[in-house]
Amino acid sequence: MTLSLFDQFMSPTLLGIPLMALALTLPWILFFKPGNRWSSSRFSALVAQFLKWFTKEIFQPMSLGGHKWALILTSLVLFLITLNMLGLLPYTFTPTTQLSMNMAFAVPLWLATVIIGMRNQPNLSLAHMLPEGTPALLIPILIVIETISLFIRPLALGVRLTANLTAGHLLIQLIATAAYVLMSIMPVVAILTSVLLFLLTLLEVAVAMIQAYVFVLLLSLYLQENV
Amino acid sequence: MAGHDAGTQYQFTGIAKFFNSYTVMGRRNCVLATYGSLAAIFLFFKLKPKKQAAVAEK
Repeated sequence: MTLSLFDQFMSPTLLGIPLMALALTLPWILFFKPGNRWSSSRFSALVAQFLKWFTKEIFQPMSLGGHKWALILTSLVLFLITLNMLGLLPYTFTPTTQLSMNMAFAVPLWLATVIIGMRNQPNLSLAHMLPEGTPALLIPILIVIETISLFIRPLALGVRLTANLTAGHLLIQLIATAAYVLMSIMPVVAILTSVLLFLLTLLEVAVAMIQAYVFVLLLSLYLQENV
Repeated sequence: MAGHDAGTQYQFTGIAKFFNSYTVMGRRNCVLATYGSLAAIFLFFKLKPKKQAAVAEK
């Protein structure tokens, strides 16, 4: 019983063939490429509207140099939202519950922002390690703290996404199992548990979208500091 | 980026002209000095010759 709770997070295989590639390419298959027509379809229009809104939200406060990141960040948010939402379907595998995958997104993108900062404005990038107006006695310790917080950023980015999704999926499985087991024993309690499960699923839908947004928003903030 | 200033309104004298937490260059110099000090402390302990224990006679 204990082992089966974590089976949903195991990398899927079929007859020894890893299916991770299929799990990762599924979002690509689900979105249609724009056609020749001015307005392709309702779904395409909806996705385009979302992408337009998102790009405006993220890149309006950013200077022009950061705008070349629009494609990568917008496609990343669409990818993460799709993976997260697909993972809420029963018996599906959620790639974003794998820490390795989230770190593979977080570390290179964060490192890219740091390198861009060091290359384009090294003085300002170093000066960021000390908040303005710090009292003299606190300067060394605050520099150490800010440096540590700089290096913690990719870890926090990856672990935040992993932990939120893993915890949510685990809770859904636990409460669903409880509702199922209680159905024959205490039907009234089972119905209440099912109501709780429904509310939790709604919460998980929100968390799936918010966590993807937060991941990309934080990356854009790190970029804003450095570009 | 909003918030960072050119530091033109500050008139520092002495060492505060180079090491302060108000101007960009001052902050940069404080950061470099801190990193340099930490590196120096690390190198000091790394390169310090270790005391050889006296060999006990049988």
